[in-house]
Amino acid sequence: MAFWNCLFNRKRRYQELQQEIEAHLAFETQQRIERGESPDDARANARRDFGNELLISEVTRRQWTWRWLDELEQDSRYAFRTLFTNRVFTLVVVATLTLGIGANTAIFSVVNAVLLRPLKALEAERLVRFITTYGTVSSATAAGREFDEWRQQASVFEDVSAHRLEFMNLIGGTEPEQIPVGRVSADFFSLFRAPVLYGRVFTRNEDVPNGGALAVLSHGIWVRRFASDPSIVGRTILLGSTPHIVIGILAPGFDTEQFEPLPDVWLPFQIDPQRVDGGNLFLVTGRLKRGVILEHANDRLAAAFADYSRRLSRPSTVTMWTVQHLQDAMVKSIRPSLGLLFGAVSLVLLIACANVANLLLVRGDARKREMAIRRAIGAGRARIVRQLLTESLLLWAAGGVLGLGLGSLATRRLLSLYPGNNPFNLLDAYSLPRLGENGSAVAMDWRVVAFALLVSAVTGISFGLFPAFHGARGDPQGALKATGSIVAGARRTNRSRGILVVTEIALALMLLVGASLLIRTSIALDEVRPGIDTHNVLTMRMSVTGTRFERRDGIAELTREGMRRIGALPGVLAASMTCCMPLETVWQLPFIVEGRPLTSRWHAFGGWTFVSPGYFETFKIPIIRGRDFTDGDNASAPGVVIINEAMARRFWPNSDPMNDRLIIGRTMRPEYDGDPVRQIVGIVGNVQDTGLTHDARPAMYVPVAQLPDGVTMLNVKLLPIVWIVRTQGRPYVVSQPVQKELRDVSGGLPVARIRSMDEVVSESTGRTRFNTSLMTIFAISAVLLAMVGVYGLMAYSVEQRTHEIGIRIALGAAGQQIRNIVVVHGVVLMLAGIASGLVAAYSLSHLLAGFLFGVATRDPIVFVAAPAILGAAALLAIWIPARRATRVSPMTLLRNN
Amino acid sequence: MRNSEAYKNRIELLQGTLDMLILQTLQWGPQHGHGIGQAIRANSGELLQVETGSLYPALHRLENKGWVASEWKLSEKNQRAKYYRLTPAGKKQLSAEQSQWRLLVKAISKVMKPA
Repeated sequence: MAFWNCLFNRKRRYQELQQEIEAHLAFETQQRIERGESPDDARANARRDFGNELLISEVTRRQWTWRWLDELEQDSRYAFRTLFTNRVFTLVVVATLTLGIGANTAIFSVVNAVLLRPLKALEAERLVRFITTYGTVSSATAAGREFDEWRQQASVFEDVSAHRLEFMNLIGGTEPEQIPVGRVSADFFSLFRAPVLYGRVFTRNEDVPNGGALAVLSHGIWVRRFASDPSIVGRTILLGSTPHIVIGILAPGFDTEQFEPLPDVWLPFQIDPQRVDGGNLFLVTGRLKRGVILEHANDRLAAAFADYSRRLSRPSTVTMWTVQHLQDAMVKSIRPSLGLLFGAVSLVLLIACANVANLLLVRGDARKREMAIRRAIGAGRARIVRQLLTESLLLWAAGGVLGLGLGSLATRRLLSLYPGNNPFNLLDAYSLPRLGENGSAVAMDWRVVAFALLVSAVTGISFGLFPAFHGARGDPQGALKATGSIVAGARRTNRSRGILVVTEIALALMLLVGASLLIRTSIALDEVRPGIDTHNVLTMRMSVTGTRFERRDGIAELTREGMRRIGALPGVLAASMTCCMPLETVWQLPFIVEGRPLTSRWHAFGGWTFVSPGYFETFKIPIIRGRDFTDGDNASAPGVVIINEAMARRFWPNSDPMNDRLIIGRTMRPEYDGDPVRQIVGIVGNVQDTGLTHDARPAMYVPVAQLPDGVTMLNVKLLPIVWIVRTQGRPYVVSQPVQKELRDVSGGLPVARIRSMDEVVSESTGRTRFNTSLMTIFAISAVLLAMVGVYGLMAYSVEQRTHEIGIRIALGAAGQQIRNIVVVHGVVLMLAGIASGLVAAYSLSHLLAGFLFGVATRDPIVFVAAPAILGAAALLAIWIPARRATRVSPMTLLRNN
Repeated sequence: MRNSEAYKNRIELLQGTLDMLILQTLQWGPQHGHGIGQAIRANSGELLQVETGSLYPALHRLENKGWVASEWKLSEKNQRAKYYRLTPAGKKQLSAEQSQWRLLVKAISKVMKPA
């Protein structure tokens, strides 16, 4: 209340005070006249006696509670005026700050969306993710029996739900459509408090094997495909070839942030806890009971695990069960990468602030006389510091507000650089979760605004205070007496400015080293030959879940016929089908070399891929020994397997693998127990299918026509199958005809995620490239800012010494000598900056280790090239003002004085 | 600094006593700033000269504290002036300061009494 009163009454109170003083003067004058003074004398004496009117009214105003507001207004108005008069200065400063704060805001928006923003779910702090640990390896994926055990820990958990993203074909309507499906256990909807619009969701009784083919629709697909017709509840829809009864429709806006893309249809998981199958590729999320803390839940799980292990007939490979807060579990792997970007962009801001502080110092020197006059007529030092700080804060506030705007634009740009997440890619640990579709979840919320303002305020005060103290320092007499451009205190200012510039160079060098290391990484990635010829290959995915093609004979026939028809298309050189796209998702299975002594359950694990004949030809993977698969390798023929060189070298160092047979996956899951013993019939070249940065692992390839039904069903449920086509020319040319043939041969199944293999490869390193481009942008900005800083310092010091230089020239100094004086001064600063930057970069570069490939953290090339580049840039910035120094005309100077 | 020579033989006001003197002066009725200054000067036998630079800040401080209130009125000579008057809180404050002052005077004179 008082505050507002004061705000509104301030003007009136001002006037009143003025009137009060005038009334006082009037009384005094009158009294003096009565005493016999002449009216003129009386008025003058009254005024003189009164004292310094302005000072008294200012001191009086200080008694008002909100006088600071008053002075703030005064300071701001003055600051506005000064800043407006020096438009160029203001423009440069505000632009620099806008860039620095804008870049920080942009990165922070992403950090906020991914790491800081709480999950959308209600009471998300009670949500936890279940983690199984195998020795040192932790995994969020679990098996059916474990899930069943967790579900029973009702003393600590309210709801426990298994969930997984699948892709299925929605048949009916004009076009069949491959849609994302959320396969979830019954608790899921209560766990995430799903709002139901019509009908109901699954009950626990329905979430059991053979619990019925039921479906819950998302609001989106209900509107899009079912014309928002509530009567769809109770009717059936065709998913694959299986009719599902729609039992409910969810309200719009239900997003658990556990699925990307958002599922269109929800199906009951119907996990059979008695069977150790179902593919242990599902995530389990639970809700802690109110009042239960994480440690408590983990203690309970430890006890449950001990009990579970005792009951197991066969020892599990799992060694521990734990839970983590859901948000932590979701973002843990991405934290270092965002931390790197955030650290880098903060350095850019620091450099920008140092530049601005430098400019403020220059201006402070130029305004020494002004400040001296202000002090001479009675302004206190504190008052001047406050006034200068107000000016700085005004600049930073402008930078902050504009930076916020620039940041929101830059965020959009940033997200468009980001390659997006691939739902099929289970290998990429660097994908950014929680960005939403096309980054829609990244928004300017209060945290981003608060961040931008806080950053402006903190940097504004810390970098503005220093020049402000400088400005208020010094002896007014000296400054007033100095007529030339050399002003008392200038030397000290130059030292501070020198330190700022050295710091800038050091910071810029650190960024440049970081960016160079990442650029070297990108180059190294480009040079990786993954073992397949990726040019002119078209790939597409097809979901066959719930169709006759999910069994051996069906899928064998589909691939045989599909390959025949695609192969006949003009422009197609070869075609094949596989379970797994290299660099995106790959499986591994344990194997036993038949007849070899065993010390544990299996000899080892190796990559496992089912393929159709023609796979190696299509990808141009060389067959080093033996033969390719043929159509003859079918269910009735003896089992065969082809291994890669890495496997042959590792497990048959001194013998011929082609004499041996492999038992794959046995005792792993019941499905694999039906897999035939397989004769090794060929050895092929290595493929780096787990990622370009990984060495090729031992790998096994098996023909799709020889898989037990259970294995096929399990695999096609987890991932749509992949068609690969080698083309004569550009791959997309054959896209339409291939799709048509596949639709015909499959009875209308759609394909999705059509990509050239080159795109798949570049996507697999997309996030590394994303980091690299951002780091490069930051480093270039840093170098440019540092150049501006160096240039500014040198130009200013030349100007300061114009007098001295003029005298030197008049006394006969050559231009070259003059130039050298300036250059030496600059080079000393530059070398100091580079030296400290090198030390810092050298001691910090190990932090980048996790992001690098094919280059050492202390790569000598980088540690020579980066300083060289920065040195060259800095020299340029020194050279220009140094040359100008030689053109000082002594005559003009003398005339000016 | 200003006119310091002229006031040499006048007494410097003790810190904090100005507020009390103002309150005391206002006891006799509302008065404007100039009048208060004159009254203090006259009542002190010309010994105390209240500088405007102290008087007005003090008046505004007292007003802010709620011990005095002000209103614009016409003086007997038909001049508009801001008149200050004691508020009930100001009266209470005055009596508190009076007893404090008496104590202080007693204490100081005991110390300063020639032995």
